[in-house]
Amino acid sequence: MLVNATGPPDLATCDREPIHIPGGIQPHGVLLTLNEPDLAVLQASLNVQDLLGVDARDLLGRPVEDVLGADLGQALRASIERGLLDKHPLFLGKGPLAAGSQQFDAIVHRSDGALILELETAAVDDGSAFRDLYPLVRTSLSGFEGASRVFELCTMAAAEVRRLTGFDRVLIYRFDEGWNGTVIAEDRNDELPSYLDLRFPATDIPEQARILYRDSRVRLIADAAYRQVPIIPPDNPRNGRPLDLSFATLRSVSPVHVEYMRNMGTASSMSISILRDGKLWGLISCHHKSPRVVPYEIRTACDFLGQVLALQIAAKEQREELEHRLARKAVQVRLLGGMTEENDFVEGLVRLQAELLELVEASGAAILHDGHCTLIGQTPDEGWVDRIADWLEREGRDDLFAAESLAGHFGDAGAIKDVASGVLAIAISKLHRGYLFWFRPEVIRTVTWGGDPGASKRPDEGGRIHPRKSFEAWKETVRGQSAPWRPSEVEAATELRNAIVGIVLRQAEERAQLSAELERSNKELEAFSYSVSHDLRAPFRHIVGYSEMLREEESTRLGEESKRYIDTIIESAQYAGSLVDNLLAFSRMGRTTIHPVPIDMNSLTREVVRDVMAEAGGRSIAWKIGDLPKVEGDLMMMRLAMGNLASNAVKYTRPRAEAVIEIGAEVKGGEVIFFVRDNGIGFDMRYADKLFGVFQRLHRMEDFEGTGIGLANVRRIMSRHGGRTWGEGEVDRGATFSFALPRLSGPEKGKGAARGSVSDAETDPAGGR
Amino acid sequence: MLKPILLVEDNPKDVELSLVALGKSQLANEVVVVRDGAEALDYLRCQGIYADRAQGNPAVVLLDLKLPKVDGLQVLEQIKGDPHLQSTPVVILTSSREEKDLLRGYRLGVNAYVVKPVSFKEFIEAIQELGVFWALINEPPPGSLKPKR
Repeated sequence: MLVNATGPPDLATCDREPIHIPGGIQPHGVLLTLNEPDLAVLQASLNVQDLLGVDARDLLGRPVEDVLGADLGQALRASIERGLLDKHPLFLGKGPLAAGSQQFDAIVHRSDGALILELETAAVDDGSAFRDLYPLVRTSLSGFEGASRVFELCTMAAAEVRRLTGFDRVLIYRFDEGWNGTVIAEDRNDELPSYLDLRFPATDIPEQARILYRDSRVRLIADAAYRQVPIIPPDNPRNGRPLDLSFATLRSVSPVHVEYMRNMGTASSMSISILRDGKLWGLISCHHKSPRVVPYEIRTACDFLGQVLALQIAAKEQREELEHRLARKAVQVRLLGGMTEENDFVEGLVRLQAELLELVEASGAAILHDGHCTLIGQTPDEGWVDRIADWLEREGRDDLFAAESLAGHFGDAGAIKDVASGVLAIAISKLHRGYLFWFRPEVIRTVTWGGDPGASKRPDEGGRIHPRKSFEAWKETVRGQSAPWRPSEVEAATELRNAIVGIVLRQAEERAQLSAELERSNKELEAFSYSVSHDLRAPFRHIVGYSEMLREEESTRLGEESKRYIDTIIESAQYAGSLVDNLLAFSRMGRTTIHPVPIDMNSLTREVVRDVMAEAGGRSIAWKIGDLPKVEGDLMMMRLAMGNLASNAVKYTRPRAEAVIEIGAEVKGGEVIFFVRDNGIGFDMRYADKLFGVFQRLHRMEDFEGTGIGLANVRRIMSRHGGRTWGEGEVDRGATFSFALPRLSGPEKGKGAARGSVSDAETDPAGGR
Repeated sequence: MLKPILLVEDNPKDVELSLVALGKSQLANEVVVVRDGAEALDYLRCQGIYADRAQGNPAVVLLDLKLPKVDGLQVLEQIKGDPHLQSTPVVILTSSREEKDLLRGYRLGVNAYVVKPVSFKEFIEAIQELGVFWALINEPPPGSLKPKR
């Protein structure tokens, strides 16, 4: 065993061990480096003594033909001339060398400026090797074609490689995203135990080893008990650097790996890399209980099979993925249809909730949009959904987030693992906080490791970390994880996100257009009322003015009847004028901006009562005014509303000798309800709904004056404050008019007042009872 | 000689009613009637057809808002922006009860804003009060500048 100056490497230093420059080779062949262009020997492995019967030191500086003989030497020179040499080993040929009758395979490649010639001992070539190989490979290939799934394919490949090589056990080993490996197929005899379904931790094959696997597809360790053969001189005399043996077939391997093999109970191993899209997908890993040399042509055939396998795997995986993706697409089309049919895409998604879940095979979903949270299927509660959304927002995840284990991001997510171990989230609004979540429950899985992966981490008494001794199946239960989100599912989620963002954007544009139209029609209305205020009032003024001048001018000549006619003209024109004025005031009430301030309703009511009493002509009215709470609203409007109700009460109690008017308030639910109650003439409840309409009157003009706009004003004012209005009464038994406003305290404060005049809904569900 | 009252009014009926009302207030001031905003400015600046009129500003300008050519608020703006005219009292006399007109009028420095009442009796009273207040009682000293409001 090699012992170098820095002491034996262990697992902790495994990642840093420079395995591409081991400084020696395995003993089942010899290695020479050659000078160019004269092809004199620069370096030689010390075992040339054993295999070629020459002292390595005597070989240095000698022309390559002295070793290879004329034929192979000629072949080498021809290959160089034809530019065939690069870092990948080239098979020069097979044959006896300059001295002796032993057959060798000559393999040559370039590495770090050096020309490396490797000679492996070989059986006498009777031409059978390739003759037998061809039908073997051909049947393998036709078998591959018939396999429908990756697993099946791999099982076939394992059997074929074992048939070609005669190894005791052949495994197909597949890497996951974390570079852990799982044995997914196996073919073996009884010499070695089964490793099928075992998982091996990523540390078993460190990164630089994976790089070598990717670059150089076939590797053979003929005898784990080998002694490494040094090369002299150790460094390349041309450039003074240690020899890079990354692509050398005889490369000596890490002592840690040899120890690992011995612990596994295998004396020889071979691996063939399976690459998909230039990335290491897995390995064909062969083991033998006893030492075993695999000839070059068999290795080449295995490499060929490995490459075919890789292509077949790629094709099968792509097809499986494509089928899955097509199924997603079909669901997606149904979802899109549903979303565009509804006014609100959320309604569409809720209606098609089965499809929404099917899209990514989730068991629950949550839609967070416009401040509302909609839960579908098995989900955590709204509080959790909010927390996850807050976290995504803070993290700036403004497109997509997928996790199999929420507990990896939230320490206490174990509480919701039954519904949400896995989360897939998409942001559905660029401006507002909006997310669509999918949830998957915990799937408790058992992973069987090839030996306790933790065992490799415990150092021995000397502080050295050894590869684990036992590869006995070691079961681990994985909790808190959902089934993984497949790439096609993540892609489907991304596409749905794009569609939703598009729909939301379009709806926002439509809303903007609608509000622009409303604004325009509002402006028109304003211009209309402006011109009414000027042009419609003027003629009434003129009628009144000229009639009065006429009455004055002709007062002596006019009869009583004529005077009454003129008086009626004047009265009517004045009434028409006040109708216009009231109508304009009403329309202004809907348009002017509300300036909300805290209002003391007690003092407001006192002032209102004082004002209406001034007009009451000395009538006897008993006012009963309770303690009124503060509200928030537009002072001018609130005064007008209370004023209208109070003056109505005064007006309609006129026939009463003893008028009693009561003003009070109560807090009920989220509202403050004010009422004005009188003992006046009342009204018939059948007409109650008419009371709050514009210019609606229930009494004859000569009995009670007025234009019939007062209650319409009250209702409009309340509706603009987010409140409501209603009236109750009985003919001749008095009336009670009430209005309710949202309570001052709490988050709802001022919300009603902020409501725009555009959406000024005059409908009042409680109105007119 | 008393300064004249300038009545800016396009509607002939309003002109007549205003003249009757002013007549009833027994003011001795001459009433000059102009029928649009441009003519009002010509009069005030002694230009155009008023180039040869006797110099001097009116005692008060009774200004309607809805006027042909140059509207009332524009006339007001010109008056209050002109050092020779800004001390002349301006009373807006209009049918409009619009809040924005009212606000704009006061912002531009109008001295009073009167919405013409529908009732003729009230109209006469309003005109009389205005005429007496602005033409007699509140006559500013000639040439003196009132601070801008």
